[in-house]
Amino acid sequence: MVTYVLLSASTIDINYYADKSVSYIVATDAGGGYDAYARLIGGYLEEKLNAEHVIIRNIPGAGHYIGANTLARSDPDGLTIGTFNAGLIYGQLTNNPALQFDLRELTWIGKAAGEPRAVIISTNCSIKTIHDLLNAQDPVPFSGAGIGSASYADTRLLSEALGLNIKIIPGYGGTESEMAMMRGEICGQVGSTSSAQSFVDAGYGNFILSVGGTISGVPNAIDFAVDNRAKQIIQLITDMAELGRITAAPPNIPIKQLNSLRTAYENALKDPRLIAEARRMGRPIEPAYGENVADLVISALNQPPETLEIIKNAIGLGDP
Amino acid sequence: MDILGIFEALIQVIGTPNHMLLILIAVPVGMFFGAIPGLGGKLGVVLAIPFVFGMDPIAGAIFLISMHSVVHTGGAIPSILFGVPGTGPDAATIVDGLPMTRKGEAGRAIGAALGASGVGGVIGGLFLIAVMPLLRPVVLAFGPAEFFFLALFGIMFIALLSGDSLVKGLTVGLFGLMLAFINLDPQTGAQRYTFDFLFLWDGIDIITAVLGIFALPEMIALGTTGGSIAQVQEKATYGIKGVLKGVHDVFSHWGLTIRTSIIGAFIGMIPGLGGDAASWICYGHAVQSSKNPEQLGKGAVEGVIAPETANNSKEGGSLLPTLFFGVPGSSGMAILLGAFVMLGLQPGPSLALTGMETVWTLIWALMIANIIAVVMFFAIAPCFSYLSYVRGNLLIPFVFILTCLGSYLSHRAWENLIVLILLGVIGHLMKKHHWPRPPFVIGLILGPIMEDSFHKAMALWGPSFVLRPGAITLVALTIISFSIYFWRKVDTNNEIK
Repeated sequence: MVTYVLLSASTIDINYYADKSVSYIVATDAGGGYDAYARLIGGYLEEKLNAEHVIIRNIPGAGHYIGANTLARSDPDGLTIGTFNAGLIYGQLTNNPALQFDLRELTWIGKAAGEPRAVIISTNCSIKTIHDLLNAQDPVPFSGAGIGSASYADTRLLSEALGLNIKIIPGYGGTESEMAMMRGEICGQVGSTSSAQSFVDAGYGNFILSVGGTISGVPNAIDFAVDNRAKQIIQLITDMAELGRITAAPPNIPIKQLNSLRTAYENALKDPRLIAEARRMGRPIEPAYGENVADLVISALNQPPETLEIIKNAIGLGDP
Repeated sequence: MDILGIFEALIQVIGTPNHMLLILIAVPVGMFFGAIPGLGGKLGVVLAIPFVFGMDPIAGAIFLISMHSVVHTGGAIPSILFGVPGTGPDAATIVDGLPMTRKGEAGRAIGAALGASGVGGVIGGLFLIAVMPLLRPVVLAFGPAEFFFLALFGIMFIALLSGDSLVKGLTVGLFGLMLAFINLDPQTGAQRYTFDFLFLWDGIDIITAVLGIFALPEMIALGTTGGSIAQVQEKATYGIKGVLKGVHDVFSHWGLTIRTSIIGAFIGMIPGLGGDAASWICYGHAVQSSKNPEQLGKGAVEGVIAPETANNSKEGGSLLPTLFFGVPGSSGMAILLGAFVMLGLQPGPSLALTGMETVWTLIWALMIANIIAVVMFFAIAPCFSYLSYVRGNLLIPFVFILTCLGSYLSHRAWENLIVLILLGVIGHLMKKHHWPRPPFVIGLILGPIMEDSFHKAMALWGPSFVLRPGAITLVALTIISFSIYFWRKVDTNNEIK
């Protein structure tokens, strides 16, 4: 511990990075949240590391698994970092064979922001409050992304924890579910608060429950958890939400490069220019660094057997 | 509607040198991103964002929208010359564009593509101005049930694109549909025919499939027969005449041009169907409405005009839900939406109350960019047609690299190259034995839309989804449209007898 504190106080190895390029893997296609954060942070990281370039490498596919696997397989020389959906934790908990490494072994650099979730209800729907939803007699149609995806799992887990009478219609990716809510065929969704904010601001929907964050005037999911099991599930969704926009490096990178990357990442996210730019882009910055992020990942991965069973049922991956 | 406001916005765009300069810069950049296979408009906008950061919001938005709106104008060029589509929606242009090049009409095909793209962009924009008051009810009328029948309508075009043998066409179409099932089942999450390969989880990449089925077989054929792509004896000349003829074709087929522009803008306006569907549905419509449908696929100019008008008009279409609902219709528009927010524009319903001037400005910028793209490339278009006279052994390595690059870049997966080769072999056998290839792409593109919307519609309404008003209307339109086609065909056959 003492060694770590001493080392983390060290400065960036600018000579090592001076004539080198760093690859920043993004596990999605160009565009979208993960790409936007990487491009924003990458520019400042280049400056803080004194690297020749920080190159964004989009490696999309298979719900972030391809990009994350590529990152884990990269050389541990401090010249490759990457960002992907923290929802891969669900993949590890359910032993999804697509995840070809152990998330505990990655070297965690930090996270730029969390992604608090919320229940969003369309203004076309007869359900207006969380109490209406809790007491719904008929199944309420909710949209979900593809089965097996992290957002689908969040919806199923929340429904399981609070005993919601909802019917999830899968296959609504991206903003499709917002259109479906406007058309009235879908009543609500469990989604990222920041993504749904403009939809709510436009008057098409309302937040009726927050999960893993706070929204003024909106009750929190944890207050409706009636037993320990429900609390554990909501805590898991909260942990995942808190992780949000993570950045990691391959396992076993030398301590010198690790400290350089962590320090540069922290300096980048504290840079007032980056904060101003992020505000303009509508991207929140709520950073955490190094070991704190590693602790969050390990905490999310340590689930008791009964919660694991619920997650396996909730994710509902079909047989290969 | 504030007519004065609409024209004030036009004057603001034309009268501001800064705005016009930005459009002039954006147009070649957009066409470049369209012309290089695998890059596309989405990546173009992402890379341009840092350059517009800090600009005046309207100026920045004009730059991005101008760039994004002409991507398919550039994408048509490699489709016509080499059978290598610059972007997915340009694939339909290959079917007649490449045979035109073989006949020595590359200039005419490029002229038609340029003209159709420009006119499509402008008519699409004008159509949007006209339908704006009806935007909300029209867009919200299309849900999963209607998507299912629209996709079914498109899939029925397989019958029209089968050439001489319906059995061959249906077999190829079903093969495309079969490959569309390679992915993670959206309903159960189960892997379907992925053989544990992660890159197949998202399905067969459309660009790779089109390159394999169209581009590689053409190169193999060129390699075995020798000579150049243009299989004519005449000498290559700087043929502005051909380009002019192509542009003239667009106006002489004015009915088709207007119809496919409107269909394209309409499909673009409905989020969820995608650009690939727009160009193939319009291509099918060209076959259906042609007086000589048997000529389509053999180098008929209508086959270039229809998909190219649709490609550009749909861009304006998808701009509307993005601006007014704040809900982007496609992934490209999602990035554009993010860029607008970053620039300080706030798309959403409040725009109709406070920012109509911005909307008109952007629609005008889109139309002007389309016109400038035509003018700018008009003079150099004949130079492109020279490439069709280059000897095959010089051209094949270049096109092969372009093909591999397009396949790799479209999904950043090297495994796509294996799929490319496999489909290339299948495409070669299809070409050699005269099996029609377009039905394959239609099955591959529309299959997932049909499957996904069928499952959603069944989960929401059960089998009664077929009785929804929109569904019944679409079924009726499909029956009427196909009846007219077959009636005309029977009539023509009788006349011949």
